[in-house]
Amino acid sequence: MTPLVLAVNLGLSFAGLTALCLSLNRHHSEIFDRRAERRAVLRLRAFGWAALAVSLFVAGAWEGWAFGPVQWFGALTGAAVGLVLLLSYRPRYVAPAALTALLVAAVPLAVLAAAS
Amino acid sequence: MKGSFRQSMAWLHMWSGLIVGWVLFAIFVTGTASYYRADISRWMRPELVRVEPTDGAGLAASAERAVTYLKEHAPKARTWFIGLPQPDHPVLDLFWRTRPGEPPGHVTLDPKTGAEAAVRDTKGGDFLYRFHFELHMPPLWGRWVVGICAMIMLVALISGIVIHKRIFADFFTFRRDKAPRRSFLDAHNVTGVLALPFHLMITYTGIITLATLYMPWGVTTAYKGDSQAFFVEANWITTPRKPAGRTAEMAPIGPIVERAVATWSEPLERLTISNHGDANATVVAVFEEPHGLSHEHPQIAFDGVSGEILETRNGGLKPAAKTFTTMTGLHEAHFAGPALRILFFLCGLMGCAMVATGIVLWSLARLPKPGERSFPGLRLVQALNVGSIAGLPAAVAVYFLANRLLPVDLAGREDWEIRAFFGAWILAALVPLARPQRRAWCEGLAAVAVLCLAVVAADILTIPGHPLRASGGDPLFLWFDGSMLVLAALFAVASRKVRRYEAPRRERSARSERAPAPSSVPSPARSPARHTEPTHA
Repeated sequence: MTPLVLAVNLGLSFAGLTALCLSLNRHHSEIFDRRAERRAVLRLRAFGWAALAVSLFVAGAWEGWAFGPVQWFGALTGAAVGLVLLLSYRPRYVAPAALTALLVAAVPLAVLAAAS
Repeated sequence: MKGSFRQSMAWLHMWSGLIVGWVLFAIFVTGTASYYRADISRWMRPELVRVEPTDGAGLAASAERAVTYLKEHAPKARTWFIGLPQPDHPVLDLFWRTRPGEPPGHVTLDPKTGAEAAVRDTKGGDFLYRFHFELHMPPLWGRWVVGICAMIMLVALISGIVIHKRIFADFFTFRRDKAPRRSFLDAHNVTGVLALPFHLMITYTGIITLATLYMPWGVTTAYKGDSQAFFVEANWITTPRKPAGRTAEMAPIGPIVERAVATWSEPLERLTISNHGDANATVVAVFEEPHGLSHEHPQIAFDGVSGEILETRNGGLKPAAKTFTTMTGLHEAHFAGPALRILFFLCGLMGCAMVATGIVLWSLARLPKPGERSFPGLRLVQALNVGSIAGLPAAVAVYFLANRLLPVDLAGREDWEIRAFFGAWILAALVPLARPQRRAWCEGLAAVAVLCLAVVAADILTIPGHPLRASGGDPLFLWFDGSMLVLAALFAVASRKVRRYEAPRRERSARSERAPAPSSVPSPARSPARHTEPTHA
């Protein structure tokens, strides 16, 4: 199960971190060429934290609460490195990549949920 | 140390980081490599072919052969250690200790025949692993030096968090096109903050693994000086037995091994036989760790004469001991499967990058302004930076290269590999002292790239069973060579960046035409930091 769970963790972390990143004015204007609206910021933050929380829950539920948090932290760091590199070299790809990551997370999550 | 709390923390962060920076970089690089210790060892012993796990009867027969060999060649030894054949390492690894202070004897046997195995003499990944916490010094000295560096690292980490004012606002910020000090500071912050849970965990648990060495007083007090009793309660060892002083014939080892194998499902890893030939002879069977965060090897102690079970130790630890073994387990990450291991490895690389950018920042902040003269301390730091950030990876590459190129039957081969490692490192550390900074970086990084390529070439040319030459070869060689190619590419890019770099015009147009000044560069580890290289700052 581990590779599937890890894929969910990486995908959710990437999507969640991207949302949190876009809720910051500097990065929002880098990518969308305008300042973020207050409501958009709140939505992005809520989604970002929720994605990270779901990721932690998935890791804990399928990997156990000993390994889960370890894997959650690892996936967070891995996804964050990817995001920072993308942000620095190909800022245009950040938003599409986050949507893709969400899809990439959804498929194995569906498989996991169906199997359990 | 003046001014506000934050200023004094900044002072502390800077100087604590500089003092231990180069050693820490070496510890981080070798530690990160140690996540693949077994794979490196296997790559360095290309004669060994992966096999199916051996069953109980097979293990018993090979243990018999090991004991026969030891009875003949090490009759006086107090303790015999028998590493049993494993799928990844299908040989008998025998060690024996005759008296304290003497280096242990060692031989590798073919488990099927009991004759000495045709395997090249090498320390393999174990050299890098032991260097990680002993720096190739006498063990006690090395562990103390590493421990002190780790404690200072913890100080640097905490003070680093305190002085990072915009830790959340700058969480994702990496401005690689700004002035060198800015982009290096960003790289330092990003690699430090994004992997902060790892950095804190690895530094703290690293100290904890050797805590009983650094702070023995708790154990001394609680166990009234009997540290063995502590080791037993922590499941590190089984209860030690003193020799009785009466001779007695040892029971055959085969049935003992078969009984051990039948007891638990974990693979049997090694046997420790102490006081052989004595009435109190003991055979301890040590198993691989069961899957779990905590690092505990199940063990069974047998009476060496009667063959009866004396003691079994497997789990059931009290909370304090469990905490301890879990910390050790987290540090070593034996539990991590291939995917999670890559993430641990990535975090390790970020640690290398954080340390490397940190020590480079120190010198960037002190570059002389136009018209000022450089000072010897700066010159020394700059040379040491090149010598460690480019020099250590070069030395590791030379170590791998020596493994492939030295004659297989060279006497003291494993020592020559290590001499090649240190020779290369010393050379790489001395050359930058005599070269202009920018040239030194450029050449050092290019040298690492070339050496990594040479490792791949030597591997393909000298290994007839390489998957590129023969079908059915071990894919391990492809993975290893692939990683070497990636490293070579990173170092080549870094070297090119240094050579091509021009300071951003806007900020430094007045100064950019002056004499080439020091520059600094990303380490291999620093893939994220492929940004402009400073000439001034």
